Amino acid sequence: MRRIALLSLIHDRSKLVASIAGVTFAAVLVLLQMGVYAGFLTISSATITHMGGDVWVMPRGTEVLDSVEILSSGTRSAVGAHPCVSDVRPLVFVWSFIRKAGGTRDSVRVVGVERGRGPIMPWELERGLPSDLEGPGRVAVDAFDLGKLQIQGDPIGARLDIGGQRAEIAGITQGVRSFTLLPFVFTNIRDARRMAGLGDGEANYWVVDLKDPACAEQVMGDIQRNPQLMAVRREDFVTMTQNYWIGGSGVGPALGFSALLGLIVGVVVVGQTLYTMTKDYERELATLKALGATSWELVRFVGWQAGFLALIGSTLGSVIAFMTTGAAAAGGLTIVLSSSVMAVGLGAVILMCVAASFMSIRKVLKLQAAEVFK
Amino acid sequence: MTSELSVLLRAWDVRKTFEDGALQVPVLHGVTLSVHAGQLTLLMGPSGSGKTTLISILTGLLRPSSGKVELCGEPISELGDGQVSAVRRRELGFIFQTYNLFPALTARDNVMEVLRLKGMAAGEARKRAEDALGRVGLADRMKHRPGELSGGQKQRVAIARALASKPRVIVGDEVTGALDGQTALSVMEILRDHVTSSSAVLIVTHDHRLERFADRVVELEDGELAADRAPNRHWTSSRFDIRASQDQGKLP
Ligand SMILES: Nc1ncnc2c1ncn2[C@@H]1O[C@H](COP(=O)(O)OP(=O)(O)OP(=O)(O)O)[C@@H](O)[C@H]1O
Ligand SMILES: [Mg+2]
Repeated sequence: MRRIALLSLIHDRSKLVASIAGVTFAAVLVLLQMGVYAGFLTISSATITHMGGDVWVMPRGTEVLDSVEILSSGTRSAVGAHPCVSDVRPLVFVWSFIRKAGGTRDSVRVVGVERGRGPIMPWELERGLPSDLEGPGRVAVDAFDLGKLQIQGDPIGARLDIGGQRAEIAGITQGVRSFTLLPFVFTNIRDARRMAGLGDGEANYWVVDLKDPACAEQVMGDIQRNPQLMAVRREDFVTMTQNYWIGGSGVGPALGFSALLGLIVGVVVVGQTLYTMTKDYERELATLKALGATSWELVRFVGWQAGFLALIGSTLGSVIAFMTTGAAAAGGLTIVLSSSVMAVGLGAVILMCVAASFMSIRKVLKLQAAEVFK
Repeated sequence: MTSELSVLLRAWDVRKTFEDGALQVPVLHGVTLSVHAGQLTLLMGPSGSGKTTLISILTGLLRPSSGKVELCGEPISELGDGQVSAVRRRELGFIFQTYNLFPALTARDNVMEVLRLKGMAAGEARKRAEDALGRVGLADRMKHRPGELSGGQKQRVAIARALASKPRVIVGDEVTGALDGQTALSVMEILRDHVTSSSAVLIVTHDHRLERFADRVVELEDGELAADRAPNRHWTSSRFDIRASQDQGKLP
């Protein structure tokens, strides 16, 4: 039955092309919408993920990474005094102003960490080294933001005015973008505090590394005895931040809706093809039934065709989605086609093809062998 | 004449009434009939007399409203659908006026895929398909698709498909209906050759010229057997025009 099904499908070029286009279209749309969504999730919490740590300490009431509450230096030593804590790393993550070449002011996100502790920040330096940010006023900005910040020519060495402080570009990051589109400015902790107007020893977050992750619960409890402080596991803070931006933004339903539209178009196009195939071959299929083929064997006529369309469409769709992802990255849009995105997306496309077979399978099952003599 | 054992198709008092909504359409009014091995039997009769309905019932494609049907000894009117399918798969070959070949498949694949559906291994099925096509004179047309074959050639592919599994019963409805006179006769010759002492061919037709290939002619009229006679082997095209009879659906 495989040969009959596939040869018949291939025989009808126009239907074949139309239905492959339909599945491909649906696959591309679903994968890209999901990839954009996954990209938003990744971007919104990228700083947390890259900073690492087991427990994040922040002012009580903080909802999202992008809050701008301040922790006093005293709380750092208090947290560090806990016997299970191996390190407490400060993170300055606060918005500030930049004065652009044209004279106008714009907002930026200043990120500062202490060098030599924990993972390297920023995480994707295209030019320069993390150590280059140690000099006074040395910053790294993203290649994509250069135009927005009105920096022309070779950016390395370009002078900036951030939060009233003189700064000089010493590094260029690649694809380090924030969900809010506020340009990231990475610098050393001292300059970050000055640009953000923070006092000595202050920070927005204490990122805590534990000697033993098992004592997280206990450490968090101890820290939270201070009514000013809140301690959250890193994974939970990632989720909180993602929920804040994505959950509250309506972006999820919007992307989901487009993906659904793609699937609906796919169901209609593929369903149409499978149905007309079955209808066109009604007489031949009835003949097979008269010759003793079971209904199950006839269902495989539809099954092979649906499976073939799903396979070709998913493959083409994946290739196009990956190519689009590359092009989108160059344009500053992060699309993440992770293995789970691929699995769920292609799973949806397969389900779509199953749904599209429904009418044809019904038709095949209702086919009367006696029709052969009509 | 023929022994009890060699009866391949048998109907006892078969009645059929179609229910068309509230409308009852009685078509067969108690047909009792046996089709014997070693014979080519023609089933004739005016249009609407119930010929197609009768062979559908004899082959288990339709269920009789009452009466009993046996196909190669199996009481198919009493078996479940799955069992009837299995009997058909084993014992029957069909040929149709409209050929019913898959246009995307070559002549060989059309024959071969049916054998595959009947459970035959690919290599064996290919060999059998090639043999069968050779027997109907299409050895040089194996790789042609139906669209590249004439009507007569297509019908020969359909016959090869019916023959290839070596069924004991071959049933055809108007198998020559779409063919010109000469081609019709050559197709009948092939079917005639298939009749052996253990197999039977039952053909529905309006064409009296086919009588020369037959061993027996059964005539149906208004859903009842009107005649069961020896063939008249002297019908010729000058006395009878196939097309005219088909258009009127009546015998002259
Ligand atoms: N499924 C059905 N429902 C209702 N009536 C039917 C059905 N099938 C056949 N009939 C009726 O049964 C009668 C016999 O039909 P059948 O097809 O058996 O005739 P036939 O002898 O084969 O005619 P022809 O020579 O034109 O093919 C016709 O009046 C037809 O309208
Ligand atoms: Mg008929």
